[in-house]
Amino acid sequence: MVASTNSRISDDMFTDEVIADPYTYYGRLREEDPVHWNEQYSLWVITRYDDLVWLTRHNELFSSAVFKNDPKPPYPTIYDSDLGLYEFVREYQSRQFIQHDRPAHLDMRKVVHGYFTPRSMEEWRPMVRDAIKDLLDEAEERGSMDVMRDFATPLPLLIIAQMMGVPKQDRPYIREVAEKLLYVGRGEPWRMQNFSEGIREMIEYVTPLVEERIVNPQDDFISVLARGEREGVFSREQVISNSSLLLLAGHETTINLLCNGILSLIRNPAQWEMLREDPEGMHVKATEECLRHDSSVKSITRIAAEDVELRGQVIRKADRIRWFISSANRDPRKFPNPDDFDLTRWPNPHVAFGAGIHHCLGATLVRVEGQEAFRAFAERFNALHLDTTEELEYQPSITFRSVKEMPITWD
Amino acid sequence: MARKLRITVDHDVCVGNAMCETFATNTFALNEERQSEAVNPDGDPLSQILEAADNCPVSAITVADAETGEKLFP
Repeated sequence: MVASTNSRISDDMFTDEVIADPYTYYGRLREEDPVHWNEQYSLWVITRYDDLVWLTRHNELFSSAVFKNDPKPPYPTIYDSDLGLYEFVREYQSRQFIQHDRPAHLDMRKVVHGYFTPRSMEEWRPMVRDAIKDLLDEAEERGSMDVMRDFATPLPLLIIAQMMGVPKQDRPYIREVAEKLLYVGRGEPWRMQNFSEGIREMIEYVTPLVEERIVNPQDDFISVLARGEREGVFSREQVISNSSLLLLAGHETTINLLCNGILSLIRNPAQWEMLREDPEGMHVKATEECLRHDSSVKSITRIAAEDVELRGQVIRKADRIRWFISSANRDPRKFPNPDDFDLTRWPNPHVAFGAGIHHCLGATLVRVEGQEAFRAFAERFNALHLDTTEELEYQPSITFRSVKEMPITWD
Repeated sequence: MARKLRITVDHDVCVGNAMCETFATNTFALNEERQSEAVNPDGDPLSQILEAADNCPVSAITVADAETGEKLFP
């Protein structure tokens, strides 16, 4: 710590080093400048656990309507010629229920909340188990597995597609479009081109499904959103935007949990053995520790709704803020030996799903999928090994912690 | 007379999602830490309290009969 205080902390959050290892960079901010003004992006960067919890629970001070209320241009900068695309992106993203504050947010969340209760998500567990068994059987027959491509992507995609009531054969297309939507967290100056193309394709894909559910409601999730339109809570455009949000959010975060979790288990053989010796007893704790240790979502943004003082700094109304889950979950003030991957941590009050009124809607579904996946791996395989000598590469995103590929072998 | 309830909210788990407050307005309230407290176990009809518990996204709420100990939720 002493050695590093003299050197200035770089404000570029998209360097190869920060993408490969966010924990060192954000950890240093957390210890040296926990409420950091990032000059390059005109952005407050918040990295301590207590601050993150306080901020998320004081939703009246920090607006979630980020796309609507951010008065500044996007960061990092985009091409001037893409500013028109950015306006299109803003309008579309602003229709998502997560981009609203109370009271509108509460009305919208109430439409969707009941679908995702812990009890109703339990009903999906048998289907999750069956899907995992099929995917692992296929991998064993093939004799190889890229965890990202062959397991972590198809599993949540299958479940969310089933939940949303979209046809089975469309899953690869949904993933293809989703990969364009993930440019929301990227830094390339041309990123609005891919992002807006993904939005257009998603609107085109979802619109007829929504129109059909308006007339002929089913027991799927698009029908839940359509009911919100009939009740006057959502406009048609909002139903479409939220359907596509749920299609994306319903699988991307789980992909990352499964990859990052299995990677942590590979790199910590003693913890893997502990899970293997008692999968039934340990699969819940293991999932929580995977969520904490290498969280799927690295950061969340807000816009200050009024002037707020935090640790002696004044965050002005309309300032933008990004808080880092991945740093908060490694805060030594909250978690002893925070960099250790330790399946016995309990309770494990990580903030992988955020907190407060915007706490992740799909948290229980993610948990069910993680629990069943980690249990199935531990029951089926004696040992897992990375099948590459290269360092794993991560997507250059400020939002998501996503490996590009993850080939493994087993015995 | 309505039965007396014992309602607990596990603060190791509660994330302050505040849905309980929405479903059973007179029973649950957020404290200074913005975590839920069962401030008045008789605040709302049992059906509303059970709905609030069911809608807790992290299953932090338990409801029992205060006299018999019978578990009502989960």
